[in-house]
Amino acid sequence: MPDKQYVIGLYKEEDNAVAAIKSLKGSPFDLFEVHSPVPAEKINAELKKSKSKVGYFTLCGGIIGFITGFLLAIFTATRWSLIVSGKPVVGFVPFFIVGFEFTILFGVLGNILGFLVMSRMPARLAGKPYDERCSGEYFGVVATCDYGREEKLSALFTKNGADDIKVEKNKN
Amino acid sequence: MAELTAAQIDNTVLDTLAAPSKTYWGIVGLLGVGVMIGLMCWGYQIVVGIGVGGQNNPVAWGTYLINFVFWVGIAHSGTLISAILYLFRAGWRNPIARAAETMTVFAVCTAGLFPLIHVGRVWVVYYMLPYPNQRTLWPNFQSPLVFDVVAISTYLTVSAMFWYTGMLPDLAIIRDRATGNRKKIFSILCLGWSGRLEQWRHYTRIYLFFAALATPLVISVHSVVSWDFALGVIPGWHSTVFAPYFVAGAIHSGLAMVVTLMIPLRKLFKYEKIITMGVLENVAKTIVFTGLIVGYAYGVEYFLAWYSGNSVEQESFMWRAVGEYKIEFWIMVICNSIVPLLFFIKKIRTSIPWLLIICIMVNIGMWYERFVIIAGSVAHDFIPHAWGYYAPTLTEFGIMLGAFCLFFFLFILFVKHMPSISMTEMKEHLHAGGNDAG
Repeated sequence: MPDKQYVIGLYKEEDNAVAAIKSLKGSPFDLFEVHSPVPAEKINAELKKSKSKVGYFTLCGGIIGFITGFLLAIFTATRWSLIVSGKPVVGFVPFFIVGFEFTILFGVLGNILGFLVMSRMPARLAGKPYDERCSGEYFGVVATCDYGREEKLSALFTKNGADDIKVEKNKN
Repeated sequence: MAELTAAQIDNTVLDTLAAPSKTYWGIVGLLGVGVMIGLMCWGYQIVVGIGVGGQNNPVAWGTYLINFVFWVGIAHSGTLISAILYLFRAGWRNPIARAAETMTVFAVCTAGLFPLIHVGRVWVVYYMLPYPNQRTLWPNFQSPLVFDVVAISTYLTVSAMFWYTGMLPDLAIIRDRATGNRKKIFSILCLGWSGRLEQWRHYTRIYLFFAALATPLVISVHSVVSWDFALGVIPGWHSTVFAPYFVAGAIHSGLAMVVTLMIPLRKLFKYEKIITMGVLENVAKTIVFTGLIVGYAYGVEYFLAWYSGNSVEQESFMWRAVGEYKIEFWIMVICNSIVPLLFFIKKIRTSIPWLLIICIMVNIGMWYERFVIIAGSVAHDFIPHAWGYYAPTLTEFGIMLGAFCLFFFLFILFVKHMPSISMTEMKEHLHAGGNDAG
């Protein structure tokens, strides 16, 4: 959208950022993104964000891990087929330990994979609207407007207590 | 309690990343020399043979396995602090979580070297992995030693990923304040983290899952390590108390190492406002708790030996207290379960010199605990004519020195080049209404 302009409202207080987001809803401007230095519960609540679904990746990883660990232990035991003290070659109790360790390992791998996929990471920051103060102590509300309307959008941010405002040219 | 702001937290931590002094590089160089000594000793052992170590009948598991268990134990408190205390929402963990996680990763790496050293022919170490060898034989998962390979590998992978994921927002902070090549490096390291709402939404969820998965893992890993011994029929090893005993001991030693590392770090990096005395005091209180569990386990072992009516078991435990290794035994008892009781006195647990001295004593005591259990049990088992005495050789001491130097070498490099305190977690705590470290 080359005809659009990004404006970032920087807020030290999360409440002010929430107020700005509320104001954006009833305005001709569009909320593009929110950056924060810490998890922002109030903003999440305002935007009615549901819980992340990343847990399904973790769950799948865990289930695959348990089956893999158990089957691996059974497979290797049957390669030897050594009967010790008349006990069965496939011992479910000791193999549960291997299954458990693989559950955790694959669960964590699924967890990471889910995070990278759902957060779209690794990513490049270049060319995207971002203010470096957002990793410090500012909440950055990024909104888009038509060219020439930056001042009106800036005024909306100022009205909601913005500590600073940054206009970024759309490089797309 | 000193009030902190987000900017103060960032500035304090980022100041530690300034160009290191000559003294710093001097210490790094010294530790590097220690690592080289260890490598040379290992090289000597590879060329000449495993016989250059003191391990022989009846003590086939000497300092290599003692150090392995010691370092795995050290690794455990990192996960306790970062995962278990996270689930309990203990705010005082925040200032020390990063350093404890770092300690965990480097301690597991150090521990992981010892099985390689111990097997002698290190080039066939892949026999331990679930992969068929030249004779198409697979490792058989009926031995706790094979469980251990899986458990330790899992622990290293999980703790390294937990550690790195937790660092992403902090790496982005450094990227945003860096210039030149440093900015490029940190841009790659932080994987493009920008603190977008979506990133945080998934990040907080996976962090919770990490903690939830790491908590049973930390308990299982040292339990599996304990079964390396407990599943053998050796008197002094064959005990059902071993798993909880080892887990408690691991956390005990790990917490002591955390304090041992935190006190100089706090002083050198001027972290007094972040790592407050309250934080150190809470670690000291936890050490009292783990020390009591360890002391109880020592008592239970003696009770079981007496109550079993097994004369071999009784002789073994009597020998521990009055035999050739009595000095090691009493160092273990005094340092691990009696000295930490001094932390009941507020004046002592809030005194930096006392904290440091007692924690170093606990570390020494925990090393000797592993010595007494591992070497002491097989040195004096069933048959009197097979009893023996084990003492480490110079080569083993060299390798041990190398391992300790390697751990501190890696740690000292990390704290000067990466954020040694989680700025994000500290700011999150402030944002949630806390005005200090917790």
